[in-house]
Amino acid sequence: MAEEVEGKGPVDTSNLYEGKVVRSSAPSRRKAAGTLKKSTDIPEDAVPEVLVPSWVETIFGGPVVAKRDFLAPDRMVVSLQVWSSAALLILCFLTFMLTPVSGTAWFAVSNIVGMDVLGMVFHLGLILIGLVGGFYGIFQRDQRAMLASYIALIVVTIRFAGSKVEFGLSFLPEGEVVQKILLILYAIFLVMYIEISSGIIRFSILDTSIRTGEVYVMNVNKISGRYSRALGITPTIAGFVAMLTLFINLIVPAFVGIFDQVAANRLKESVELTSVYGVALGTILVFMIIASMFAINLPLKIQQYLERQS
Amino acid sequence: MAWSRKSAMFASLSIAMYLLGLVLRNQQLVTVAVVLLSFLTWAAMRTAHGDVSSTGRRIEDSKIDEGIQLQNIAALRKISAARVFEDGEIDVTLRLQNRSNISKVLELRDRVPEVMRIKKGANYVLMEIGPQRETEISYTIEAPLRGFYTIGPVCIRVQDEFGLFHNEREIQLYDDFLVFPKMEDIKDAMIKSRVPKIFTGAVNIRNPGEGSNFYNLREYLPGDPMRKINWKATARQDGKMMVNEFERDAVSDVILIVDSREVSETGPVSRNSLVYSTRAAASLAQYFLSRRDSVGLVVYGDEIVSVDRDTGKKQLYILLTKLAGAMAKGNTPLKIVTNRIMPHIHRGSPIIILSPLEDDPTIVDAVRDLRARSFEVTILSPSSLEFEFDARRLDRTGYEVLKTERDILMTELRGLGAYVMDWEPDMLLYTALAGARGF
Repeated sequence: MAEEVEGKGPVDTSNLYEGKVVRSSAPSRRKAAGTLKKSTDIPEDAVPEVLVPSWVETIFGGPVVAKRDFLAPDRMVVSLQVWSSAALLILCFLTFMLTPVSGTAWFAVSNIVGMDVLGMVFHLGLILIGLVGGFYGIFQRDQRAMLASYIALIVVTIRFAGSKVEFGLSFLPEGEVVQKILLILYAIFLVMYIEISSGIIRFSILDTSIRTGEVYVMNVNKISGRYSRALGITPTIAGFVAMLTLFINLIVPAFVGIFDQVAANRLKESVELTSVYGVALGTILVFMIIASMFAINLPLKIQQYLERQS
Repeated sequence: MAWSRKSAMFASLSIAMYLLGLVLRNQQLVTVAVVLLSFLTWAAMRTAHGDVSSTGRRIEDSKIDEGIQLQNIAALRKISAARVFEDGEIDVTLRLQNRSNISKVLELRDRVPEVMRIKKGANYVLMEIGPQRETEISYTIEAPLRGFYTIGPVCIRVQDEFGLFHNEREIQLYDDFLVFPKMEDIKDAMIKSRVPKIFTGAVNIRNPGEGSNFYNLREYLPGDPMRKINWKATARQDGKMMVNEFERDAVSDVILIVDSREVSETGPVSRNSLVYSTRAAASLAQYFLSRRDSVGLVVYGDEIVSVDRDTGKKQLYILLTKLAGAMAKGNTPLKIVTNRIMPHIHRGSPIIILSPLEDDPTIVDAVRDLRARSFEVTILSPSSLEFEFDARRLDRTGYEVLKTERDILMTELRGLGAYVMDWEPDMLLYTALAGARGF
């Protein structure tokens, strides 16, 4: 028999048909199937399903929030739900306390209309949407409700403010340090709420995957323990960095005071330094230090040191 | 270090809030932005960000630095078998070593071919591996379709606790395995050659000779051994000496021709003409080789691949390997194949063609040529019409018309003296073969 023939490319078959009548044989079935129908309609299954992404999906490279089905929450997810709802409650309370309606767009509109109360209602409505949507999202594990809650709680803070810190409730302390600590607390709770609620989805996906056998987790308690520890450590560090930036009007004068007390006092009384621009200056200083750490590859060097310690 | 969508969202949100806070002179927004940025920075630090481009090192060095956390991870894989039959199972054991002094939380995915099914265990594991420790994961995969496959690489990933940043590495560890087509036990395919060969074998060839099966009675001729005399028949013939004749056994050359043209893969992935043809060819090869026949194979698609006739178990594995690798490609006509192989095979040898009999205007000519040269042609035709109709890809009218045309073609082939069987999807191979032989 013939030797093994491989890799010769397409075979020329024209010689077989030259001057010959090709007899009956099976026709191209695909061609026939297309022409043999009674009606001229295109069969339903002949057109492949084409999923045209929406403009939002085009921008983000996929759906912003995907609808998922989860199994009943496990212990870790339930505890995250509890933590998240606690964070949400505190956050909403802090938002209500720290965010006055004055300076907001809806306040301006309601003033123009002449119905001041409308602005307040809208303001409270936003906080309420954040609260209810958040609770619904947390317990139903619905990312869309969570997203609505995030947006509502962020939008409610967008307002034109004066140079001085201004709160929504008059009985709150006037002291600068306490005010700034309250602001930091608010910011931390907002970030933690976003993180823990998204953690609910992450751990629900993981739990569902474990239970359906898609993924196997060795020592799940250790992994969830690390997450819980990180939830404790990271806000503390973030809070510390925020404190450094917010208290720059005290740190810079204290530093300058070593050399010149008069200049330090002037700096302390400077309106710019106590205002939002002072915070901007603080941010620049703190993040310049962090940027220089990255520039010299410090995190990598620490990692290398730890890895090569043996 | 790679950013996740979440970290990108956090970063853009914090920048937007920061700028908006400055414009509106809103400390609240700026504070939230600063906390978010700190959160991100801390996570980036924990994931050992390596801004290697700023250090001016070469790309190779930077690659190592980028995944420093993963450089001390080694993997070793063992598979239970390198060759299995369809629907067979392979146990995979993956040993993972952490050679550093730091405990690591890893996501590990051992990449398996898409068509494989995970039967037991998981190839995707999330684990914490201690310093200088090793761990073993095992899983079982089921191979539903024939072919050459590779397991690997091993993908490992470390990420921060919040899923903001991650480092990935692929350990280039590969294991190849081969899935042979499934074989059916066929007791007797009823294929017999009319041409004897020198060596006696197990196939009776319907010619008188030295064999074991009774063939005929004839008159005694001088030289016939006495033990061949049939005394009862002699008594009935009034003293005329009658002797027994036996069928002559011989090793037969069986040629299997498998159609692997593009059209043969019409239908669902696991139920199409090529799948059935390869399974049938494997079963027939095993059957004939077990009878000490010599079996050759021709697979044609975009090219003609042939395996010369031979006997024995080694030949079976050679054939199975070729069948495992048969790909649906090209459109070589059958006539080209028969023209090429005819000069090389003994006249009268059984030829079994496994083809859907579609899109080839040369089929009739090819079979006629084979029959004209006294080859015993059996055609087993897995009907891809049925596969497509079952999968609801063909409407009733189209199916009926095409079925009629197919029947006409088969009748024409039968008229040429070929044994033709329209092999329907749920029919056993043995039944199909018996049908082809007219039993």
